[in-house]
Amino acid sequence: MSDRPPRDPDALRRYIAELLASGLETETEPMPRTEREFAEILDQLRALDPEDVRGRLVIAGFLDHPYGPEQQRCQECIYYLVHRRWCDIPEISLPCEPDWWCRLWRI
Amino acid sequence: MANLLWLQGGACSGNTMSFLNAEEPSACDLVTDFGINILWHPSLGMELGDNLQRLLRACVSGEIPLDIFVFEGTVVRGPDGTGAWNRFAGRPMKDWVAELAQAAQYVVAIGDCATWGGIPATAPNPTDSTGLQFLKRQKGGFLGADFRSKAGLPVINIPGCPAHPDWVTQILVAVATGRAADIRLDDFQRPKTFFASFTQTGCTRNMHFAYKVSATEFGQRKGCLFYDLGCRGPMTHSPCNRILWNRQSSKTRSGMPCLGCTEPEFPFFDLAPGTVFKTQTVMGVPKDLPEGVDKTGYIKLTVAAKAAAPKWAEEDIFVV
Repeated sequence: MSDRPPRDPDALRRYIAELLASGLETETEPMPRTEREFAEILDQLRALDPEDVRGRLVIAGFLDHPYGPEQQRCQECIYYLVHRRWCDIPEISLPCEPDWWCRLWRI
Repeated sequence: MANLLWLQGGACSGNTMSFLNAEEPSACDLVTDFGINILWHPSLGMELGDNLQRLLRACVSGEIPLDIFVFEGTVVRGPDGTGAWNRFAGRPMKDWVAELAQAAQYVVAIGDCATWGGIPATAPNPTDSTGLQFLKRQKGGFLGADFRSKAGLPVINIPGCPAHPDWVTQILVAVATGRAADIRLDDFQRPKTFFASFTQTGCTRNMHFAYKVSATEFGQRKGCLFYDLGCRGPMTHSPCNRILWNRQSSKTRSGMPCLGCTEPEFPFFDLAPGTVFKTQTVMGVPKDLPEGVDKTGYIKLTVAAKAAAPKWAEEDIFVV
């Protein structure tokens, strides 16, 4: 797998899916308990190179499956654009699948 | 002819600026068409010094009948209950307010500061500020919970930061033309004609609210501001999207979250860092849900709405 992520959204989605399926360790915890903690994660994401997709996945805590007792997933997250299959948080701005999850999830 | 006196306590003059920009009716219309005689106003009054004191004393004594007493800004009680941090016309403003409120047929509080204390009364409230008949959500304020003006009404509260100019002038016209009995007030003494509906009522983003598409940055034309940017439109009583600002727009229409400035708790969360322009959540669920909606219902609604969301809801449909 090349280190340079593809630009085409579908190719990028497949690239991310492969990364997650290959066991990429991401920071699923701690979940941000306060808006300040949420903002600190966003600050970390902003500090990344815009090309650093892997870094974004790690810091945001991406998983390729639902998470937690309530089985939270992108499909219900307010940042998720259902038709584009896209995470619309400016600091993430990546293609996603509805059954994925990250710790910036909110409903 | 109805005599109106307007004074300012702990205020930024924002409500005066708003009032002077009124259109339907305008401040001039109040005088020329509706028989309101503006005895004195901080930006319009001619009297200064001894002349102003004489005018105010005449209002207190009844020599000049005071029909409508309008107050803008907080009643400043500090330091130590003296009111000395807000002196006006030779004495603490709070003393004028106490006497003028007793002399007036109607008392109207304009803006958040006069209604419930607003920003100056936010903790730690260094000036010991309060609204005329409320301190935040607690009834009482400076005049006391049982206060009634000579006409038998409590203080008429027109909140907002600032209040919309037309809310102000329309209520003043109603009072001045003998229709005060038609003004129905809610539990916070706000005229129901303006404050029974929500800021969200009439918002152009309602379709995005319905399909759970979030705005993520200020000024975006797509998306609802409630989910991420702290918009309080679904929980705030105001007609901001029914009676537009400058007849053109509103905060939410232009991509700015509603701050909930017509509610007693404004500013929310005592302006703690990270609480302004950010929807407060607990494990991803908003702390403050739209009025009357519980968490279970909210989650069910979200699941259904996301599943049903049409493609256009994700796009900017306001093409220039």
